[in-house]
Amino acid sequence: MSPITIHAENLSKTYQVPEREGGFGAAVQSFFKRKYNDVKAVQQVNFEIEQGEVVGFLGPNGAGKTTTLKMLSGLLHPTEGTANVLGFTPWELKPEYLRSMTLVMGQRNRLSWDIPAADSFLLNQAIYRLPDDEYKETYKELDELLELEPLMKKPVRNLSLGERMKCEIAAGLLHRPKVLFLDEPTIGLDITGQARIREFLREYNKRTGATILLTSHYMADVTALCERIIIIHHGQLKYDGGIADLSRKIAPFKLIGVRLAEVDSHDLTKYGTPVQNEEDWEKQYIQVKAEDVTRVTSGLLADLPIHDITITDPPIEDVIERAFNE
Amino acid sequence: MHTLKLLSAFFKVNVQMALAYRADTVVNILLNLMWLGWELLSLNIIFSNTTSLGGWGIGELIALLGVFRLVNTMMIALIWPNTEKFNQSIRDGSMDYTILQPANSMFLVTFSRMTIWRIWDLVLAIVLIVVGINISGDTTTSLNILTFILLTVSGAIIIYSLWIVLISLTFWFTKFDNNVTILQALLDAGRYPATVYPVWLRIIVTFVIPIAVATTVPLQALRGDLDAVRILMFIAIGIASFLVASRVWKAGLKRYSGASS
Repeated sequence: MSPITIHAENLSKTYQVPEREGGFGAAVQSFFKRKYNDVKAVQQVNFEIEQGEVVGFLGPNGAGKTTTLKMLSGLLHPTEGTANVLGFTPWELKPEYLRSMTLVMGQRNRLSWDIPAADSFLLNQAIYRLPDDEYKETYKELDELLELEPLMKKPVRNLSLGERMKCEIAAGLLHRPKVLFLDEPTIGLDITGQARIREFLREYNKRTGATILLTSHYMADVTALCERIIIIHHGQLKYDGGIADLSRKIAPFKLIGVRLAEVDSHDLTKYGTPVQNEEDWEKQYIQVKAEDVTRVTSGLLADLPIHDITITDPPIEDVIERAFNE
Repeated sequence: MHTLKLLSAFFKVNVQMALAYRADTVVNILLNLMWLGWELLSLNIIFSNTTSLGGWGIGELIALLGVFRLVNTMMIALIWPNTEKFNQSIRDGSMDYTILQPANSMFLVTFSRMTIWRIWDLVLAIVLIVVGINISGDTTTSLNILTFILLTVSGAIIIYSLWIVLISLTFWFTKFDNNVTILQALLDAGRYPATVYPVWLRIIVTFVIPIAVATTVPLQALRGDLDAVRILMFIAIGIASFLVASRVWKAGLKRYSGASS
């Protein structure tokens, strides 16, 4: 077992949010007498992450993902509970801690807009006190993985969103952090852009053994990268474990897709519940209970003229939706 | 050593940013040359018509103007652009990145932007101070000049500290874009020697709002008007205000991390 890198214990955060009714009178009244409402963003969250793990942090908007990530990175003091990352208490913001972690937020820019990213990189080199040879070596490695070189000569404002994200991520990794907190690193990117970032993170994790905790809206990010996921909903930890386990636990269903010789000529409802699959129009899909898969499959193969058959897990979106509505 | 390296890195980035847009660069150079010419002209007008003000000689007035301009350059070249950046970074959340960098956040916030075109102003201010000291040279000693320099530095630190306190308030108020306007208004009071103000106002200007300390006091030192106790007191005020400012800044950061989402 690898050593524990990230440890959260009873981590909780309550915000005070000013609140008022809509309308002019309410606005004036609120100026003199402000009402606050307690919002429990994160409640009593516990987990441990080992060195080198890639963990996906899932949950709908406002579930408390970003708040948790901000507490672990040191930006927020928790209202209650403790956290330990690499042996440090994050919010003490010790320079040794800051030098060994990074936070990349997909929706925020750290690179200067008007100048090429290379110039901002050099500024980071100065801030993180990186010796020239070490900086060059890291840069070369990142260039190899992200193909940065062609992007380095253009001002950041002239880069596409995907190109800029590559540079943003590279800027966050120049100091070779041991822990990566990534908040929506693929947000707004197209499918290939997402895939490239994902591929990079997988390779980076393999090469450096860095611990990665990422949040994402795109299930594909999580399924492609993380063996373990943590689901948070209404500020509470709902699930912590493997993706396969999660599917087994809350959705003991499989999807069987079949491509038939003659389309639409056979009724599949007697084998299982038909489901739409927007990514694959060629096949017809039915949902069956996990324990019935073998029986149904052999039945299908015996009864129907089948060209192709697949058995898959249901999409993770559905799986999580089910968990949240419990 | 590392601080210097970081400063030079910031300077380079700011030069690069200033040169990023060609037309903008050309306009800036022309504008600043014109501005410099205008400043020199107005200095000429002032000093061809005045020989003393409030009991101050021409050399001292030139030096006072130099000190005032030095402070003004600090305002225009550092404080204004960094305030703008600071306010923006609070609004768009990029302050988060600043906080997570392994360097003193107050330092990062102070030097991340520099209006490099104002380097001429810096030169002009120093020339004015040197010329002023030279003209009043027969009445001053090298010890006076030394205390003058010390108190000028201490004065700049006081104004800087005041700025840090004002921008730190943003952490509590979330939106406080008038922070520098207030500082500028206070600073304008330092344009004239504090002795031209009535006594009650002088007390406010010296002790409540220590702007006079930043501009007039160094000049009094140059004239040899200050005794050792007062010199030490003013230096102590400089050190104290810096300490208070860093405390307020730290408390502000803590507040930020407690409240922001």
